[in-house]
Amino acid sequence: MKKSILSLFLLITCALTAQLDRSKEPKVGPIPEINLGVPQTFKLDNGLQVIVVENHKLPRVSYTLAIDNPPYVEGEIAGVSQLTGSLLGKGSTNIDKDTYNEEVDYMGASITFSSSGASASGLSKYADRILELLADAALNPNFTTEELEKERNILLDAIKSGEKSVATAARRVESALAYGVNHPYGEFVTQESVKRVSLEDVASNYRNYFVPKNAYLAIIGDVDFDKTKEKVIELFQLWRKASPPVITLAQPKNVQYTQINFVDMPNAVQSEIAVQNVVDLKMGDDDYFPSLLANNILGGGMRSYLNASLREDKGYTYGARSSIGADKYASRFRAGASVRNAVTDSAVTVFLDQLKRIRNEKVDPEEIEISKAEYVGEFVMALERPETIARYALNILTEDLPEDFYTTYLEKINAVTAEQIQEAAQKFIALNNFRIVVTGKGSEVAENLENIPFNGKNIPVKYFDKYTNATEKPDYSAKIPEGITANDVINKYLDALGGKEKLEGVQSYALMAEAEMQGTKLNLELKKTAKNQFMQDVKVMGNSMSRRVLDGDMGYMVMQGQRKDLREEELKKAKEESAPFPELNYLNNNVVLEGIETIEGKKAYKLKISDEKSIFYDMESGLKLQEVNTTEMQGQKMQQTLIYDDYKEVSGIKFPFKLTQSMGPQSMEFFVQEIKVNEGVSDADFE
Amino acid sequence: MKKLPLFLLLSILLVFSSNAQEVSFEEYDLSNGLHVILHKDNTAPIVVTSIAYHVGAKDEDPERTGFAHFFEHLLFEGTKNIGRGEWDKIVSSKGGRNNATTNDDRTYYYEVFPSNALETGLWLESERLLHPVIEQVGVDTQNEVVKEEKRLRVDNRPYGNLLAEIKKNLFVEHPYRWSTIGSMEHLDAATLEEFIAFNNKFYIPNNAALIIAGDIDIPSTKKMIQDYFGPIPKGAKIEHSFPKEKPITQEFKATAYDTNIQIPAIVACYRTPSFTTRDARVLDMISTYLSNGNSSKLYKKLVDDKKMALAVQAVNLSQEDYGIYAILALPLGETSLDALVMEFDEEIQKLQTELISEKDHKKLLNQFENQFVNSNATLEGVAGSLANYYLLYGDTSLINTEIDLYRSITREEIRDVAKKHLGSNQRLLLEYLPKTENQ
Repeated sequence: MKKSILSLFLLITCALTAQLDRSKEPKVGPIPEINLGVPQTFKLDNGLQVIVVENHKLPRVSYTLAIDNPPYVEGEIAGVSQLTGSLLGKGSTNIDKDTYNEEVDYMGASITFSSSGASASGLSKYADRILELLADAALNPNFTTEELEKERNILLDAIKSGEKSVATAARRVESALAYGVNHPYGEFVTQESVKRVSLEDVASNYRNYFVPKNAYLAIIGDVDFDKTKEKVIELFQLWRKASPPVITLAQPKNVQYTQINFVDMPNAVQSEIAVQNVVDLKMGDDDYFPSLLANNILGGGMRSYLNASLREDKGYTYGARSSIGADKYASRFRAGASVRNAVTDSAVTVFLDQLKRIRNEKVDPEEIEISKAEYVGEFVMALERPETIARYALNILTEDLPEDFYTTYLEKINAVTAEQIQEAAQKFIALNNFRIVVTGKGSEVAENLENIPFNGKNIPVKYFDKYTNATEKPDYSAKIPEGITANDVINKYLDALGGKEKLEGVQSYALMAEAEMQGTKLNLELKKTAKNQFMQDVKVMGNSMSRRVLDGDMGYMVMQGQRKDLREEELKKAKEESAPFPELNYLNNNVVLEGIETIEGKKAYKLKISDEKSIFYDMESGLKLQEVNTTEMQGQKMQQTLIYDDYKEVSGIKFPFKLTQSMGPQSMEFFVQEIKVNEGVSDADFE
Repeated sequence: MKKLPLFLLLSILLVFSSNAQEVSFEEYDLSNGLHVILHKDNTAPIVVTSIAYHVGAKDEDPERTGFAHFFEHLLFEGTKNIGRGEWDKIVSSKGGRNNATTNDDRTYYYEVFPSNALETGLWLESERLLHPVIEQVGVDTQNEVVKEEKRLRVDNRPYGNLLAEIKKNLFVEHPYRWSTIGSMEHLDAATLEEFIAFNNKFYIPNNAALIIAGDIDIPSTKKMIQDYFGPIPKGAKIEHSFPKEKPITQEFKATAYDTNIQIPAIVACYRTPSFTTRDARVLDMISTYLSNGNSSKLYKKLVDDKKMALAVQAVNLSQEDYGIYAILALPLGETSLDALVMEFDEEIQKLQTELISEKDHKKLLNQFENQFVNSNATLEGVAGSLANYYLLYGDTSLINTEIDLYRSITREEIRDVAKKHLGSNQRLLLEYLPKTENQ
């Protein structure tokens, strides 16, 4: 009996299957509602609010301590909060640093700190111990001069290595111009301000701001609420009740009219463009969701207006993006891209066209649908990560959001109409109050930026230095003196070194130099001969990290243990470089005198040696100041700069004793220890 | 009187919470033999739809190696109802993402979607199984893609051929002897008919497991599965049987060359039992003990203290039929390869004669516990594990119980397994050397 019923059932389902229309993509069901764990909360007398999301799916736990203080200006000692964060978690007054770290490792856990909180994760069987360690380091920090100096040096190194970085300068100037340097979001850390921070400043920053008034502790995972509550109270009731200092913030304002703010970075190969204005938008506002979609369509992903035009259509950039910030205190709209020098002004025009388009035209319904789907997918996928759930629970409290903000998130995304998107675009994208911040090479791009028409006249251009001080328009018009040729520049250089004859008498030289990178010593050994031989070896602690060798028609390079023979074109280049003084070969050799530029404050002739290489020679002394090599990596132009400094005489010839090499944000200073001319080099060096 | 019930209550709670950490699942077969595993987890509105086919590189014709992996590409070309190039667009327009992987034992395809697109996932995967379009244009396109992948991942990558060399030497009879990506000559020589035949043989419901994990309603999901997959015809039964290897009883050496490297590598390789065995799990622990993390034995000794090696790694590459246990090191400075082997031997001999410390044992357990927990942290991970445990281990419930196996491994067992499988007479010593002009 049972069997026949079963087969009957099968027959019915088979019959149903027959009706299934495979030829069409199935319709998707209604958007799922999100089952976020309902957090349980409690508050300590000192103000700490605790959110517990019990999730027993996995035996693990995560803790996030977030102190949501209003932002404040650090002023003279900018960097103090960053240093305070770095000094937290180095053990505590109860446990020394090594023991602390070992115990964390043994449990397989991780604990990290910042000046405004901490986070930790690990197996739930160690839940209590992890929280104890977190609380101990957070509440009983052990600030020492030794650790401060260590962290200060790391921070100074980071600032120093960013000095030449166009992107670093651009981000700094963009924020500073948008919010003002006296606003917490606009101020920036400098070497000077970091050097001024004392141990007492750190301690006082900690005392003032690492306080429980605006603190939240989110606990997610396999924990029991009651027991966790007990533990939290036990550990955190000792946290002294205090509020951060009361601060009034100036409201940042937009400029009166759309303008270009140009920052000159003579070493730039790409211009950083940011079209921006401040906005007043909070996550709880009605137009928050329309603004998300407006932004996603304008500059959110691969299919966006900005990317489709600037990357796919024009090929100006590897990618263009935009964002509309939402923040309790201040935020901004920003659309940006890195573009080739030559197309900087055209790219600004395309930006303005696309920004007008999102404001003036209703978005195509299909685009809206796809954009919503992308957004929904992204949002939904993120839910799986526990830190997302923690962030949402915190946001509801800190951003003053309704309880159902995230459970109805997808519905709200999907309810957004084309009209609302357009309204949001018009409201938050301030076409007539833009600061178009362009950071780039003035001598190549500034002139054209002066001639971008907008609303019937050219957009005014204002000039700034990389620390946002207003400057005069730099003078790029330095003219090559009448009659001077590339050969003259080269001859002057050869004379400055010691004269052509002397240089031609050099059969070989060997150079030893040393550099330091994050406390590690690097040794550079360089040997060259007049017979197409070249050897360059960079060693770390006696081990070769990179080695390039050329011997006549053979050459190879070894990078981190991997050997590669040089290809034909690489060989050709290596040969050009192998001469003890390559300039001897540049004479009468299609080298072009391109113009005059300011290098490190000195007027210099620019010689274009090849498409990839330019060299700058001091107009006054004749000496070589800088060499710039351009390479292309994954569609991005990368520039490597070599600065020559500190010339000293060896065997009657001047050699630079300081070489600074930089690429992107990285830079390294080599100090020459020894140079030998016509000795210390043999054929065996080039095997 | 009052105290007792409270105590009881607590112990019940404890039991409850350890059960609650389990990955719950339900499994059954459709009448065409398709094995279905459902894992309901409504924590997040996400669903993973995946199919694991019990076909990998070891199922290939020795003259047509690379087929299994080639299919991982070919089966994205389209189906009777899905045009060429439309697959990815359909997935992203639903807010989803998709991918596939191949190894020697199985091929795995999956999509991750917001849970409202469950049916889209079922449609896509059933289309792929029922009537993929296999035609010359797709074969030609993917042939180029696969070659590019081989250049990128194998040929131009330093040490990229190391695994292939190990397999070639360690296996004589068993098809693990060739590489998963296979031979490009074989792929070039293959005809369209051969691809179609491979599809007809292995891409059948009775050689596959369908895993649906995430935010689902069980009854309606079952109905949809029946609708989309029920009518797919069953295929001819496949026998998965492969020649056995003779045990290694004497150490032997091999040499291989790589043009992409400057620093040689020495690898001590042992042929070990299938990952379904208890010994394989003990070997997992041994490899973690020797080389996982900066405080592990071989790393600390060879890299940190003695500065003899640039890198050292012990891995237990377990598979369905056999495993490969390999200890690999790159010498630093003047260190000879033999000196490194002597250092390996010293540590292995210690393992074979002494017990590891209690603290190290506990730390190992913590590390495995962590690994286990995190392997189940995402639905993608859970779905992949369910597929492997069913299809290759023959026991889906291992997703919850395998950690108990590791937990039960004693220090004595670690010593005994090291003795049993890691004898110096049971291994291959592979010297993997830089290739110079005259070689």
